[in-house]
Amino acid sequence: MKKKIRLKIRRHRPESKTPPSFETFTLTIDADISILDALEMIQSAQEPTLMFRRSCHHSSCGTCGMLINGEERLACVTRISQFKGGTITLEPLPGFPLLGDLAVDMAPLYKDIDERWNYLRGAEDLGGKKLPEGIKRFERFENCIECGCCVSACPVAGEGKPFMGPAALAALNTELQKTTGKGARALLKQAGGERGERLCNRALACSRVCPTAVYPARHILDLRTRLRGDGQGP
Amino acid sequence: MEHIIVIGGGGAGAALAHDLTLRGFEVSLFEKGDLLSGTTGRHHGLLHSGARYAVHDRAAAVECVEENNILRRIAPQALEQNDGLFVAISPDDEAYGKTLLDACLASGIEAKKLSATQARKLEPALTPEVRVALQVPDATIDAWRLAMHFFATARQNGARLHPFCEVQWIDTRAGRVTGVEILNYKTRKTSIVKGDLVVNAAGAWAGRVAALAGINVPVQPGPGVLVAVEGRVTNMVINRMRPAGEGDIIVPQRGLSVLGTSLWLTDDPDDVTLPKKHITRIIENCSLMVPAVGGAPVRSVWSAARPLIRDAEASSPQQISRTFECYDHKDTHGVEGIVSLLGGKATTVRAMAEKTADLICRKTGHKIACRTRTTPLLSWRRFYAVGAEDGP
Repeated sequence: MKKKIRLKIRRHRPESKTPPSFETFTLTIDADISILDALEMIQSAQEPTLMFRRSCHHSSCGTCGMLINGEERLACVTRISQFKGGTITLEPLPGFPLLGDLAVDMAPLYKDIDERWNYLRGAEDLGGKKLPEGIKRFERFENCIECGCCVSACPVAGEGKPFMGPAALAALNTELQKTTGKGARALLKQAGGERGERLCNRALACSRVCPTAVYPARHILDLRTRLRGDGQGP
Repeated sequence: MEHIIVIGGGGAGAALAHDLTLRGFEVSLFEKGDLLSGTTGRHHGLLHSGARYAVHDRAAAVECVEENNILRRIAPQALEQNDGLFVAISPDDEAYGKTLLDACLASGIEAKKLSATQARKLEPALTPEVRVALQVPDATIDAWRLAMHFFATARQNGARLHPFCEVQWIDTRAGRVTGVEILNYKTRKTSIVKGDLVVNAAGAWAGRVAALAGINVPVQPGPGVLVAVEGRVTNMVINRMRPAGEGDIIVPQRGLSVLGTSLWLTDDPDDVTLPKKHITRIIENCSLMVPAVGGAPVRSVWSAARPLIRDAEASSPQQISRTFECYDHKDTHGVEGIVSLLGGKATTVRAMAEKTADLICRKTGHKIACRTRTTPLLSWRRFYAVGAEDGP
């Protein structure tokens, strides 16, 4: 069934020195398409220089996080049919430097995520009775796709405090579960540092907006509990 | 060293920027969207063992098995290395399995025959109808992160990467290519960038880029639909044991199962049509192999345009080879200073880059060996540590 919608998109190119404004694009679409599909239709038919990030289209890469009607979401797995009313507002993720329009620079997200932290873990047990020849254990990627939605939604990070943020703390706790001895102590020290879990005020916005069920707030609580047990907490 | 301009920030451009910087060239790469916003990130995430092509496209199969082994070594964090199965669920499938096993072994693919019971011990979600299976060294790729490994390493080694910069014109006025005109979406300004050689690595968009230099290239965009459903129901990649066709693969990835795919031909690589019939058939066909994916909630549906090389003699789109070619347009069109890289697939981007960089070395009179087979790639996370802005 075709439906007419309006996408109200925040347009701004910081480097071109034009003031921010909203531009509204009108489209006739199938209501079950995604916000990302709609953006691609605008880009190919109406405004080729519209800036937004996207890659995998199925919530694996983490590039298309944005504010959709004010909430952090991935454009690729957010369907237009979820919204009542004919206008949907799109804005870039707050808390990250703006490249242009809906595209932001993700560099701050990675500041406290060590590139050596293992992105693989043992896969869930699916009831198999044997492993294939040559395979020591079934492995899978971690759920966190580093999209930045949690960091954007976190009120503490938004106040400009020097907080590591929920994505880094969740990644840290995930790595901690794969680490023992000296490595584990170093990770805990980092989590308990001045920019670490102590700044979290349990607003839980991170877990609420996470599109891939990482629930960063649970990881932060784990770290808090463990640090207090170790006598390193506040 | 010479300044090489790469057009296209997909997997091919990423691997090429990496190879060229390792060999000491100066590299500037331009991409009209964000890096990896075209076909690369959207594929099903299969690291091919080569088995899918072994029977009808031996060249592609051999390329795949070789690159599969290399990528496992140089980018292990971008792969779920759980192998794959080809499963027979009909007598025809089973008959094809004999041809497939022979073709795999002849292509250097380590395929092992398994009974139905053995296969279901590995993957209990397989249909009870399974008759026989082959274990092959498939794996799951994080499509974006694998390609970002190449970009991170290239950037660390000095490549200048320019997303959101569209090449609008290729300057051939001097009788050879001397540079390109760029529209930078961030500044809304145009500028001329001079270079010694231009590489068209625009994948399914390569026809449009070549046209900027007045050149026709035989690229044929071939989109396909992919469906991601909720739930990881197998750990191994599951393929249908029959000739390549619609709905013949399930790639587990994180907590999803990615079902693929279909294929049609178009002239417009930006065509994002999602034919409903394809979606239905893909889900139906995949659930014949693994019933659980049939009733699973759909997370996302999308399409991706393969950068096929036009082939008037192929009896069907599926028969078009998935190998790659690089064309020196001095030979094809009498235009010096521009090379096009066409065809290929995510599994073979490193080899595509090697062959193209070899050609660039020959054209520029350098004898520098390729080192990408053994150089471990840096983490995708390094990309962001190197710094956000690349100079002109």
